[in-house]
Amino acid sequence: MSDSFIIKRSLTPFLISMICLLAFPLYGQRITGKQKATEDIYIARIKQFNEFADRFNLVSDFNGNPADSVFKAKMPREKMIPLLFDMKDPRSLQQNAGYSESFTRLKADFVKDVVQKNLLLNKYSPGIIAEARSRILVNGNPQTVRIFLNQEVTEDRGVKWVILAVKGNFSDVFRTDSTMIRFIQPTSNETDFINLKRALEDTGYLHYYAYKGFEPDNLTLFLYYVNEGIIKYEYAEEVIYHIISIPGWYFRVRDFNRNELNSGWLITDLTRNNLDIKDFIKDLN
Amino acid sequence: MLRKIIIAGLAVSLNLSLAGQETKTAVSSKQALITDEINLSTSDVELFKEQTNQKVKEFEQYIVTLGSKDEPAEKRNMAEKEALKLFYKGAQMEISFLLPDGTVQKVSRPMEKYLARLKSLPYTKVMIKFYDIAYIRDFTKGPDGKYYSTATIIQEFTGFSNDDIIYTDITKKDIEIIIDIVEDTFFQEKRWKIFLGDIKATETRSTTTTP
Repeated sequence: MSDSFIIKRSLTPFLISMICLLAFPLYGQRITGKQKATEDIYIARIKQFNEFADRFNLVSDFNGNPADSVFKAKMPREKMIPLLFDMKDPRSLQQNAGYSESFTRLKADFVKDVVQKNLLLNKYSPGIIAEARSRILVNGNPQTVRIFLNQEVTEDRGVKWVILAVKGNFSDVFRTDSTMIRFIQPTSNETDFINLKRALEDTGYLHYYAYKGFEPDNLTLFLYYVNEGIIKYEYAEEVIYHIISIPGWYFRVRDFNRNELNSGWLITDLTRNNLDIKDFIKDLN
Repeated sequence: MLRKIIIAGLAVSLNLSLAGQETKTAVSSKQALITDEINLSTSDVELFKEQTNQKVKEFEQYIVTLGSKDEPAEKRNMAEKEALKLFYKGAQMEISFLLPDGTVQKVSRPMEKYLARLKSLPYTKVMIKFYDIAYIRDFTKGPDGKYYSTATIIQEFTGFSNDDIIYTDITKKDIEIIIDIVEDTFFQEKRWKIFLGDIKATETRSTTTTP
């Protein structure tokens, strides 16, 4: 089943010219300038992440109708998937100082792998990780945190997004102390840990009583502080998708808000990946 | 009829194998089918999409009417009232602004307040035009049994001071769509109804000029 545009006019002539424009970037840039703010740009634009997935899987044409054999012959996946990349990425522009031969080769390998193995993007895969870069207020002061979410399928086939992890600076909650006086004495066990009461009343420095290498779980801290009213959630400034559901690969998708044919939800980075979700989020900078 | 279709669709969904849930990699063709089954059948989807498109068109028309200073006050008030009826209770309008330093600021308002503000904008004339585009994604079932989708529309706004254009923008509006069961007191039966939910409005281009 495909998702669809409901569009009230034909896009065929535009589609053909768009393919030509994207195939020849220099020519495309000149023409694109003339077409700004036209409806055609908004039709070409990948307006929703869902639409990105449909184009990636080639289940619908540019009009949003199910991709038929004629469309698939004109626009096979090996042509469609390169169009889903950010074409303004300096690594992809041959005339740019930042041009990267290795990145170009990596993209070609990715497209070849996806096409040859017919790898599809499962819209409900846990390997689609949404990062909501969010503005919060910590005791009234603005701060940005990164909230990672993915989708869970419930027993009755319902789908929901769930919070996987939160990355942010919560370290100011723990005070620092270098006097080395905060510890539970070595013989405390013989006195039924009477000192434990003293230690756990040492608020602000409690982390010194935990094991070496202790790192607080940010998600738990975040939920606790929100619950206590210390943190107030404002809004997501930006959403980025980290996709590791294609075996061996990681790519990032973000929304390019620009008045060009190559706009909307596009691939902005690509690397090889073999990490699972937990390790991937832990490693993510 | 529609209800029967949906109930049948739900029954099929409930009996599905959960094998696909543990998939952590890209789907094969077989797994892709399981993914599809989370949603309604193709015919149901087409029906709901058509109805959703009609709701979105209705909303667009109300916006055009209530924003237009040329229309009589009664007609604009009626448009505001009717537009609100399309929404799920508590729906919000979140508008994002791109600040000169490149950062994004967002303001959220209850739909009632957004519509009231739109009606009283400080321009002598307002023109609102919607592009002939509406992208509606597939419906996905939520854990609460309702079905969810998102419709994207493009709006062009022009504000005049006398005959001079003093503000113009193009915004992309992503509208949450909710299909919920409501009780029809007249026919004494339950049926599915489409509601509009929260809206995210993203400014894609704006121009302010001094008249």
